[in-house]
Amino acid sequence: MVKKSVLIIDDERLARQELKKLLLEFPEYVVVAEASNAAEGIRLINEFDPDLVFLDIQMPDKTGFEMLEEVERMPPVIFTTAYDEHALRAFEFNALDYLLKPIDTARFADAIHRFESTERKDADPPPNLYVHRGSLGEEDQVFVRDGDRCWFVRLADIRLFESAGNYAKVFFGVNKPLILKSLNSLEDRLDNRVFFRANRKHIVNLRMIERVEPYFNGGLLLEIRGGERIEVSRRQSVRFKEMMSL
Amino acid sequence: MRIKPNYWTLQVVGWGGAFLVTIALAYSMGQLDPVRLTRSLLGLSLGLTLSHVMRLTVRRARLLDEPFMRQLTGFLLITVLFACLHSMIEASVIHFTGLRSPLEMNVDFAVLNISLAFNAFVVFFLWNTCYFLYHYVSKYRKQEMDTLKLSTTVKELELKSIKSYINPHFIFNALNSIRALVDEDPSRARQAVTALGNILRSSLQTEQQETVTLQKELGIVKDYLALQHIRFEDRLQVDYDIDPTTLNLPVPVMMLQMLVENAVKHGVSRRVNGGLIRIASKRTGDRFELVVQNTGHLKRNLRHSGFGWNSTANRLELLFGDAASFRIRETPDHMVEAMVVIPALQTGMPLKTESVVLRRGAA
Repeated sequence: MVKKSVLIIDDERLARQELKKLLLEFPEYVVVAEASNAAEGIRLINEFDPDLVFLDIQMPDKTGFEMLEEVERMPPVIFTTAYDEHALRAFEFNALDYLLKPIDTARFADAIHRFESTERKDADPPPNLYVHRGSLGEEDQVFVRDGDRCWFVRLADIRLFESAGNYAKVFFGVNKPLILKSLNSLEDRLDNRVFFRANRKHIVNLRMIERVEPYFNGGLLLEIRGGERIEVSRRQSVRFKEMMSL
Repeated sequence: MRIKPNYWTLQVVGWGGAFLVTIALAYSMGQLDPVRLTRSLLGLSLGLTLSHVMRLTVRRARLLDEPFMRQLTGFLLITVLFACLHSMIEASVIHFTGLRSPLEMNVDFAVLNISLAFNAFVVFFLWNTCYFLYHYVSKYRKQEMDTLKLSTTVKELELKSIKSYINPHFIFNALNSIRALVDEDPSRARQAVTALGNILRSSLQTEQQETVTLQKELGIVKDYLALQHIRFEDRLQVDYDIDPTTLNLPVPVMMLQMLVENAVKHGVSRRVNGGLIRIASKRTGDRFELVVQNTGHLKRNLRHSGFGWNSTANRLELLFGDAASFRIRETPDHMVEAMVVIPALQTGMPLKTESVVLRRGAA
């Protein structure tokens, strides 16, 4: 039996206790760590890279949503909350998995089964062997939020990042929400075989490029699925051609 | 409830009174002859009948619902019309029955008609003035009453919604803690269930009462804090400083509770290391002070401080007007302090809103 590592983030000891007790029914899940606030939660996610996280929405320092925005490598998350109309709206609207406290045993089992079925589906393609630890693969997710709306987005679905000061605008589907990450830090974390820094303001997903045209001064113009046209600086155009000719 | 004067009583009393006065005057002057008596009886019956027809006309025309200037015009028009009608009937009767008084003996029919019309005009003018004034005043009073009723209802509703506020988040969190506690510490779990029951019961009962004794309110607060202590464990510290002479004083129900809830929210649950809640009461003469403190710093913008403080201030204003005060400050030892000062009333003494309700009931 393959063990799965679990991280529980909740400021109440008894609430964490209750989750551990519910998990006893599922012996393949092992609670590897517990956090009682968001800062600790972020640290433990990075340290343990857990297979599954139970995350309380209301915590002393940050909400669970705010915490997720700061997480680099997003683990699968099941939210927990006692009663919070705002959070419930967000869950329902974005089809996020959540559990209401006190947690119903049957509902808990459902959530675990749902997690397992999505995990199996994701595990079908062979793992990206070339992605070394620390950089994010295409199957990795990021959590983005725009007011009441939030998403877990697979990196493969993101076609473009655009710099906006300390923030970056994330283009996927019809949405363009902001995340609190600079383009430079994103470039460091993203797999540079898929995500290419086209110029000072843009990172594009190479798999989303539909057309390449020559541009002024030996530069290039990329047309991306979705219609955005991004200019590639001269220096980066050389790199782009090198990569494409391989 | 004031007794509403009956229309027919007023009619009979008014016209009958006028008739009797005329007779009495004539009698005292030794002029009470059969002619005068018959003429007075004629005046009585004509006046009674025509004024009633006049009222029917006013009602049929819905004159009282018209704007003021139209009412005034209609009122004069109807008065003139009915005065003419009155004099025509009266003059004809007098003419054909020969019931002329000695003064009218040699007067021509037209002149007689005009002089009688003038008399009738004065009488009907007076009648109509009474009629319109009566309706005008009663309409005004009704409007005033409606406004008062409305504002009382609004106040009651406001108070009800403030009072019945109990945070659902708290209830479900408490239930979750209790569920975990059932295995870990069954006897504490049982105490917690009782405490939660007490809180739910008292929050249901607040609908029925405006004030409770401080002792009773403190009971709720202690149950509440006991439950929060299960949840927050050593992150929550509580310190009481209660003046025993204040225990029997009435306080607005659930007010202290709401301040404590607010203090827990800002001073404990939002702080990683938790904090201290201090609850104090003091009486100096008629001045009754309730204080709730929590660890933390006062945010610069008080408007964003949430439901607790605003609603407390509103509620005090509704209940006591200027007699109460509410103040938020940061103490030198870095605690956020909410202080309520209310008059030290005896139990059972009516508050401001209660007396409004009483007055309405008596009206």
